Amino acid sequence: MKQTSETFLENASEALKDAGKAQRRDLLALFTPMVRDAAINNFENFQTLRQHVKKVRQHSLDNLDHYLAQFEQEAVRNGNRVHFARDGDELNSIVLDICQQHSARRIAKGKSMVTEETGLNDFLQRANLDVMETDLGEYIIQQAGETPSHIVGPALHKSAAEIRELFLDKHDLGPRELAETADLVAEARGVLREHFLKAEVGIIGANALIAENGYTMLVTNEGNGDLCANLPRVLIVCTTMDRVLPRAEDASAMLRLLVRSATGQPQTCYTSYYSGPRREQDTDGPLETHIVLLDNKRSDVLASDYHEMLQCIRCGACLNHCPIYASVGGHAYGWVYPGPMGSILTPLLTSLEQSAALPNACTSCGRCAEVCPADIPLPDLLRDLRHQEATENLSSTPWRRGMKMHAWLARHPRLYHALTAIGIPLLHRLGRKRGRFSRLPMADGWTSQRDFPAPQRKTFMQLYKARNKASRRRADDR
Amino acid sequence: MTDSARSHIFAKLRQVSRGAPTTTLERELQAMGRAPGAALPCPDLCAAFLTNVLRNQGSVDCTGNRSETVKVVGQYLYEHYHSHRLVAGNDPRLAAMPWRDAGVLPRFGSVEPGEPVALSFARLAVAETGSIITWTGKANPAANNLLAEHHIVLVDSADLVANTEQAWDRINQDMDKSGRPRGINFIAGPSSTADIEGQLVYGAHGPHSWHVILMGDVPETALQEARSIAGL
Repeated sequence: MKQTSETFLENASEALKDAGKAQRRDLLALFTPMVRDAAINNFENFQTLRQHVKKVRQHSLDNLDHYLAQFEQEAVRNGNRVHFARDGDELNSIVLDICQQHSARRIAKGKSMVTEETGLNDFLQRANLDVMETDLGEYIIQQAGETPSHIVGPALHKSAAEIRELFLDKHDLGPRELAETADLVAEARGVLREHFLKAEVGIIGANALIAENGYTMLVTNEGNGDLCANLPRVLIVCTTMDRVLPRAEDASAMLRLLVRSATGQPQTCYTSYYSGPRREQDTDGPLETHIVLLDNKRSDVLASDYHEMLQCIRCGACLNHCPIYASVGGHAYGWVYPGPMGSILTPLLTSLEQSAALPNACTSCGRCAEVCPADIPLPDLLRDLRHQEATENLSSTPWRRGMKMHAWLARHPRLYHALTAIGIPLLHRLGRKRGRFSRLPMADGWTSQRDFPAPQRKTFMQLYKARNKASRRRADDR
Repeated sequence: MTDSARSHIFAKLRQVSRGAPTTTLERELQAMGRAPGAALPCPDLCAAFLTNVLRNQGSVDCTGNRSETVKVVGQYLYEHYHSHRLVAGNDPRLAAMPWRDAGVLPRFGSVEPGEPVALSFARLAVAETGSIITWTGKANPAANNLLAEHHIVLVDSADLVANTEQAWDRINQDMDKSGRPRGINFIAGPSSTADIEGQLVYGAHGPHSWHVILMGDVPETALQEARSIAGL
């Protein structure tokens, strides 16, 4: 997909103009943390589980060559063809080749952020294949010609009324009301069911790859991924190599974290493990199965200081808890992965130059790290990216000079205190009457949106010293 | 392309790998122990399973033997669909049920589009998650879990385990004996979606309703206890 991360600020301003959508984002930012918190509180050993899964995943990533080779060996033993793709173009070509070998025309596709990353749909459609997204959210945005705004709920930015209009426009089914959400779901079910039954190839992602037995794990609530995996005669699983876990029980343990963090459920409706093509006695299932493992710079990330990002389990909790994501929504981030995880993944998987605005879209509030089930230090990684941005001279010259000056001052506390001891009382005197400033030189980024409060007369350090002095005096008196 | 990609990727991975021998990796994994699971809602395994099925928006029944089971299935079919027809996989356990006694008319095979009710016999069930487990194959074609509007699942209480780790122990033992099935499906509720404005709707792609019948050695109070804990 076309990346617009460079214009994050413009994208964000545009997003803020739509009051209805902003209101819906506010509601989701209240609701989604509530359901997550309830689920985590009901699970008594969340921290223990989090640390256990972290250790297992770190162990898997530290020995990825071993577990990936083991997975490949077992998957081949199960009857799969395993492919490796260095980048998105390679993945897309492999998938198209398979479709063409089978003279396939219709593709039923389950939700897969990896194929969003590679732009697979566009690639296959350019080759005249009829690719239909089958996850309801993905189907809605595909029909609307949009991209996902959230990694778990891709169409949550759209209202039911918009979706109703979309369905009335796109589905040639005559006059009908579609008054209730259930009516919309039922209509999509009917349309997609026909596609499922006719599709020659199914494409799904994987939430985990299990090294010990070569199974892939797929987690859905709708069951659409399972229909893709079971009805068409060819199945292609597109995923990335960092999904490998040693054992099936490790995938189950990770799932406990994933579902609670993503949707607040104790278990998804459908958790399926697929090993390969149909067996001799089977009456259904694909005749041929392929697994395409994408790298796309993940091996570079593994070797870098950002390797902890590969622990991400794609639950979306950091998005749901991020004040920036809640304000501007997913589209503003301009690529596949939004929110805190996206602000790290996008620079790593594309380039920092193209997406330097994203690590700056952070208030350093730390909520994302608190809720991250993989215990990824997201604010630290975002700060490291901002540091890298400065050292690689990617930010503007005045900004870099300002930061350098601030850094120099911060390293000279006496001078810093002396300057603030002049500046703060001055600002206090200037703003004494109104108690705030509606304009300040070099601070229009702040004052264009809200007033800047006039400071109290003394600096923090002056008050702190005075307080210490007073308590020492009291101690001496005693 | 894929061979050179494979070599390229593995070469990069080996550069950062610890290169530890398999025995060391196995020892390290063992030392990590097992993950903690969710606490069961009550000490009795049957009641805990039924509670979680109810919480997963399933409906439940309990029966003591096969005659009672067919009767309950017949009643459920008639009450909900005014029909006695259903489709079941070629599972010998289902074939041996006295369906005629309750007037139930099963067709054994895969669900075809338009057939509303499917019946499965779970291979296992997990109390921790309120989920049932089926294997794809002749005994339970995958379509039977997915294509019907209503999915009825029988669970033998002897096949009920406390948590997913115990489930995998059993599955691994079974796979050692009879090989790996194409698919292992954990099902915990009717198909659902909240993709439109976060509103929960059932029957997104798969069944609208999911009915679980726990049969065999089930304490008499289990069903009542489950309903009470689930607040029903």
